[in-house]
Amino acid sequence: MAEKPRLKLPKEAKKGDIIEIKTLIPHIMESGQRKDKDGKTIPRKIINKFTAEFNGKPVFSATIEPAVAANPYLQFTAKVEESGTFKFSWTDDDGTVTTAEEQITVA
Amino acid sequence: MTRSGIVAGGLAVAAVIVASALLFTNGVSAQSAKRAPQLETKDDASARPWKRYAGWPARDEAKFNTLGNLASPPPPTAPRKLSAPIDGDAKKGAELVADRNRGGSCLACHTMGPAGGAALPGNVGPDLSELGNAGREDEWLFNYVYDARVYNPDTVMPPWGGHGIFNDQEIGDIVVFLKTLKSPAPYKTELDNPDKRPAPVEKRDNLDPIENPGMWAVDKAQELWKQKSSIGFSCNTCHSEPKETFKTWAASMPKWEPRLNKVLGVEEFVTRHTKATTGDVWLMETDENRAMAVYLRYLANGTPIAIDTSSADSKAAIERGKALSQRKVGELNFACTDCHGKSANHWIRGQWLGEPKGQFDHFPTWRTSLLAIWDIRQRFQWCQVNIRADELPPDAKEYGDLEIYLASQNDGLKLNVPGIRH
Repeated sequence: MAEKPRLKLPKEAKKGDIIEIKTLIPHIMESGQRKDKDGKTIPRKIINKFTAEFNGKPVFSATIEPAVAANPYLQFTAKVEESGTFKFSWTDDDGTVTTAEEQITVA
Repeated sequence: MTRSGIVAGGLAVAAVIVASALLFTNGVSAQSAKRAPQLETKDDASARPWKRYAGWPARDEAKFNTLGNLASPPPPTAPRKLSAPIDGDAKKGAELVADRNRGGSCLACHTMGPAGGAALPGNVGPDLSELGNAGREDEWLFNYVYDARVYNPDTVMPPWGGHGIFNDQEIGDIVVFLKTLKSPAPYKTELDNPDKRPAPVEKRDNLDPIENPGMWAVDKAQELWKQKSSIGFSCNTCHSEPKETFKTWAASMPKWEPRLNKVLGVEEFVTRHTKATTGDVWLMETDENRAMAVYLRYLANGTPIAIDTSSADSKAAIERGKALSQRKVGELNFACTDCHGKSANHWIRGQWLGEPKGQFDHFPTWRTSLLAIWDIRQRFQWCQVNIRADELPPDAKEYGDLEIYLASQNDGLKLNVPGIRH
């Protein structure tokens, strides 16, 4: 069962505020370096890309490498000038893209 | 039984069916709340034969005590006599005392001068750094390592020779090494010194789903709560307001269950009640069971633990649990109370031994080192496997007694689930 991503950011902010955004996606992050009991390499399966957009404009993105631990947790900041929607996406090695959204009201 | 008796019995059954039918149409009435909850009482609540968790060491310790069985050899009655002074190899002894594959290494409990680089030794046993100056005789040292119970029946030291972990030659090497210890340990950092190392403090916010993946079980349980079983029932069929209904329930668990003649914890209760009502089979130590056990305790968070300690059955179970907590088990011959009583608030190398109080209120807990939720029964099982004893299945009655004894020692602490620990 794919678990849903976890988000933490304020629901409201003042114009021009720098807000803190925490994101986490449950994922095994199999590095591709480990071997199973029979000595066969366990195939790599990681989240390799993360992006964050605000009202369609890129805010933050990251290329994630195999050394990142399970359940990658990213924390970053963004300056908000208007109300709108943050959209986050995580791309799996198998091509699956998981997305999540969160709204913020800027006064 | 007479014919009329059989008829009367049949009527009683019919009455029960009517009562249950009413229950489903009227919801949970005040009367039914007092009725004992339905439980499946025939089958085991965990997998049989019980199979040890993947990744745990595969060892057969059938020669030694478990919480369910007595098998360990008896302690020695007299010291062994040595015919000649010990001829051993101090270098081999130095390797053996630091060998973690042989029961955890002597450094787990003792500081031994420069042995092991003096990195993170423990302080459960005395500092042996200057034992070589004490003028101890070979025979006394040999017997102390071989089986210390011959000199001190209350010792927590494993019987290294008596339980066959080291042979005579190896113990001889260790004795010769011990006699070379003549100066205090050269700690590289303050943290290496177990007497100065600060006790660990858990400061993470365990109820924040970003900090604690154990919280995801709460989401999963809420999905499971409404998921209809093959016969069309879900938890929600009878318990549509879990936040209200279970505000304090988990704080009263574990509880003596007369229909099973054992103590039931939340986990086993979930298995048995679900099987009897929705028909779902959520055996202990499956993901569904763990999620529900986390959720039911989560709903009672903040409630002080208040189990029944006054009824005769509870008292008897607590007494049995107390006796089990003092039973020496496994190849290393430890009782629960050896580590968490006599030696509590000391270090086993880098691991802190906690008191029983504070070891219950946060279970099930997320283990950051293992990326998994452990309930209290799995924690019991690991304690045993770790000290080289065979574990029991999680629904063993002995664990019920131990859990109720542990809960009684945590009386009044507020539930705080899911916890988060290393």
